[in-house]
Amino acid sequence: MSATASVCPAHQGRDDRKSAQIAAANLAPQEGARVVGAFASVREILRSTQVRQAGASADQADLSKPGEISFFFLDGDLHRKRRAAVAGLFAPKTIVTRHQAVMDRTMDEIIAKLRSRGSAPLDELSWQMAVDVAADIIGLTDSDSSENLANRVKAVLDLSMGRSDSWLGKALLTAKIMIRVGAFWKHDLSPAVEARRKHPKNDVISHLVKENYSKKGMIMECLSYGGAGMMTTREFIVMCAWHLFDDPALLERFLTGGEDDQFAILEEILRLDPVVSLLHRRAAAPVEGSAGVMMQEGEVAALSIRDANTDEATTGPCPYELDPDRAKRMKAVGAYMSFGDGPHRCPGAQVALHETRIFLDRLFRLPGIRLVCEPTIIWNRQIQGYELRGAVVACDPA
Amino acid sequence: MVAITFIAADGTDQPIDAEEGLSLMESAVGNGIEVIEAQCGGNAYCGTCRVYIDPAWRAVTGDVTEVEVAMIEVSGDMTPGVRLSCQITVTPSLEGLIVRTPMSQS
Ligand code: HEM
Repeated sequence: MSATASVCPAHQGRDDRKSAQIAAANLAPQEGARVVGAFASVREILRSTQVRQAGASADQADLSKPGEISFFFLDGDLHRKRRAAVAGLFAPKTIVTRHQAVMDRTMDEIIAKLRSRGSAPLDELSWQMAVDVAADIIGLTDSDSSENLANRVKAVLDLSMGRSDSWLGKALLTAKIMIRVGAFWKHDLSPAVEARRKHPKNDVISHLVKENYSKKGMIMECLSYGGAGMMTTREFIVMCAWHLFDDPALLERFLTGGEDDQFAILEEILRLDPVVSLLHRRAAAPVEGSAGVMMQEGEVAALSIRDANTDEATTGPCPYELDPDRAKRMKAVGAYMSFGDGPHRCPGAQVALHETRIFLDRLFRLPGIRLVCEPTIIWNRQIQGYELRGAVVACDPA
Repeated sequence: MVAITFIAADGTDQPIDAEEGLSLMESAVGNGIEVIEAQCGGNAYCGTCRVYIDPAWRAVTGDVTEVEVAMIEVSGDMTPGVRLSCQITVTPSLEGLIVRTPMSQS
């Protein structure tokens, strides 16, 4: 499963990845799935119109009720229409004219909190940023407080990622999830829906209201955004901070470079330590690629983002080395496959990069900023990705 | 190879030899046309690879396709002949194509 890059003669095979070991020990493609790791093949499969979402939760989605499932699980025309309806929320122009203000405001709060406390868990701060930004896009802006919203979303997502193999365990888990989803509906989603019935806005919930989504459909869509946008960005921010704390030259370059250079650094970190490691696809019909048939009808492929991101055919030599100039040199998209590709490619990619850049730029300019406790890297079996917990940052008091 | 000319907003032209089968966006990026950002890598989901097809060539390249509409609308760019270059495949029929590029993609 692990990519076999040749040792780099010029740099003694430097390996700057922080999540490679834990991924190698824990990555578990779906049973029966064929692992595909070459960048070009992964891209061709993801771009094919013959493939469908696969993997644990995709197999449970009831495609006969498209109004009750997230567009994450849809394909074809319906999927394209649903994505197109919210495309404006993720456009580069919207990021500059709308989301950047939310990011700046949230960062003001985060900085104030950190300076008054003197120290704080880094994943708590990155979670606040990820939740505030995604909540504004989704339209979860009528809760009692953004902190309570963040806690309730976390409570639901943490449990829905849980797993129990015994019947009693499963029953208890289901009951707990229902209670937490109920609280999320009552305190966050329902007030947002009511407000938008009276005054529609430009956000996901207004779109769901306009399209008459059922309560279940709304909950599923909002929680999908929560999982896709909040959990991923929380980890990405902490991973980038960890790299920057560890590498003073890289930090210096980050703080003195222009925005484009900052993005290049962040994307290169995401290439090496992708938050999402595997994407599964099932072939609805034979998938033809440039080199012939790539998937047989019915076959499931586990597309390895880690392998694709370190495929020397597209990265050039020393694929495990953090080199922010790589993508430009190779004329590649900086994050390589870390945001996926094809019709399901992450719509929030630029949002995530912008909020991470703003977060880190402000954090690292704080007087006396330091990492007092390194993160522990753990593996989330359900999402097949790493989580960074326990990192604590400190700064000079206000 | 297919000869294509990109004309920048300031009027300078940059001729390139584009590889058949690639998209116009990939050919532009590969040949250093810097204004073509293509943040999403060719998935018609960022609107940052916009070009304007010369009037004489619009019948050959075809109209805006369904997948391009959303991002072109969102960009607010109403310039005649606007297309997402990631959705145009380089074929021999494009030999001599002339496209203009915007000042910036934002
Ligand atoms: C570093 C942060 C992020 C990473 C690494 C990431 C990664 C991904 C990946 C790999 C996919 C493709 C899934 C597939 O093909 O099956 C995806 C889809 C998605 N992402 Fe992100 N994402 C991030 C941030 C965000 C943000 C901030 C949002 C929204 C606020 C978001 C919303 C979505 C949605 C809605 C989808 C489903 C798209 C579809 O199925 O058409 N993501 N993300």
